[in-house]
Amino acid sequence: MHLSNGRRWMAALLCVCAVASTAQAKPIAFANGTTVMSEYGAGTMIEAQAFYAPYYWLSTGAGYLHLDSDVDGRTRNIEYVRVNYLVKRWNLDAAQANVFVWGSLGNASGSDFGGSRFARNAGFQLDYETRRIYSSLKSDLWESTAFSHRIDTLQLGLAPYEHDYQDIATWFVLQARSYTGEIHRGTEWALLLRLFKGGAWVEAGLTGDGKPQLMAMFNF
Amino acid sequence: MKILRAMIAGVLLAMSVSAQAATIEMDVNGLVCAFCAQGIEKKLRNFAATEDVAVSLEQRLVAVAMKPGQDIGDDELRKALTDAGYTVKAIRRVDESIDTVRARLKAAKP
Repeated sequence: MHLSNGRRWMAALLCVCAVASTAQAKPIAFANGTTVMSEYGAGTMIEAQAFYAPYYWLSTGAGYLHLDSDVDGRTRNIEYVRVNYLVKRWNLDAAQANVFVWGSLGNASGSDFGGSRFARNAGFQLDYETRRIYSSLKSDLWESTAFSHRIDTLQLGLAPYEHDYQDIATWFVLQARSYTGEIHRGTEWALLLRLFKGGAWVEAGLTGDGKPQLMAMFNF
Repeated sequence: MKILRAMIAGVLLAMSVSAQAATIEMDVNGLVCAFCAQGIEKKLRNFAATEDVAVSLEQRLVAVAMKPGQDIGDDELRKALTDAGYTVKAIRRVDESIDTVRARLKAAKP
């Protein structure tokens, strides 16, 4: 979905707000916990991850990322191992904020180069949430000798009610995502419904051009 | 001498009540998400003395019911929640069952 200049400014403003006040599904759920996550990103991205966290500030695991360009059809398939690290957490009276970073090493193949290449990745996530407001800014950079792609994702969520521990949590989330390296031009907007209870989290919605955006995550 | 005995008896009685506290309540900062707070419950259920755990995001409170005659020290509880990624503001022992605590929390909901 391509944006006018006005909408680009709005996206930039949202990004600035997000940096000041941000959150998202966390790469580390809790100590001695396992997180399994799968995401279908509007036909452009598919990602699956599994992490184990020995501490609340560290998790490690493996993942798979598939990118399918809607610009020229080029594809990427990356299998990787990753370490996630919680740099800083603020436990406030009625809010929590986090800064996560991660790094990955992997093996990549693609439709526009032969064989497989060593791939490396670095990323970060800033998040902030209360029981009514949720926001996150996430940036993921993948590089190899054949490509460089950065995927930036901003999520702003509102809960229609304050859920408690035994309740189903409901969130309406506005997502803005951009890709570099000719994967997708412009900013991809999506409106999502997020539900979670206990260790199960599901999220579904549509992008601005009507493509499905799905995510499921389980913690145990 | 009688006064000393009475004081010792009083202290022992107080310690006994404390040791038999049915439930330990903790005020916890950062408790905003049920998805995240399950780490706290998992951590607390690992204690052999834990009978049951209740979490209230609304009251930012975690309650642990003790098995009869058992207890968990404040330092251990504080460490468990810190290791789960949260900040404990206060710990107190109450002579209430965890069901009573749950009912109180439910009644306090807006």
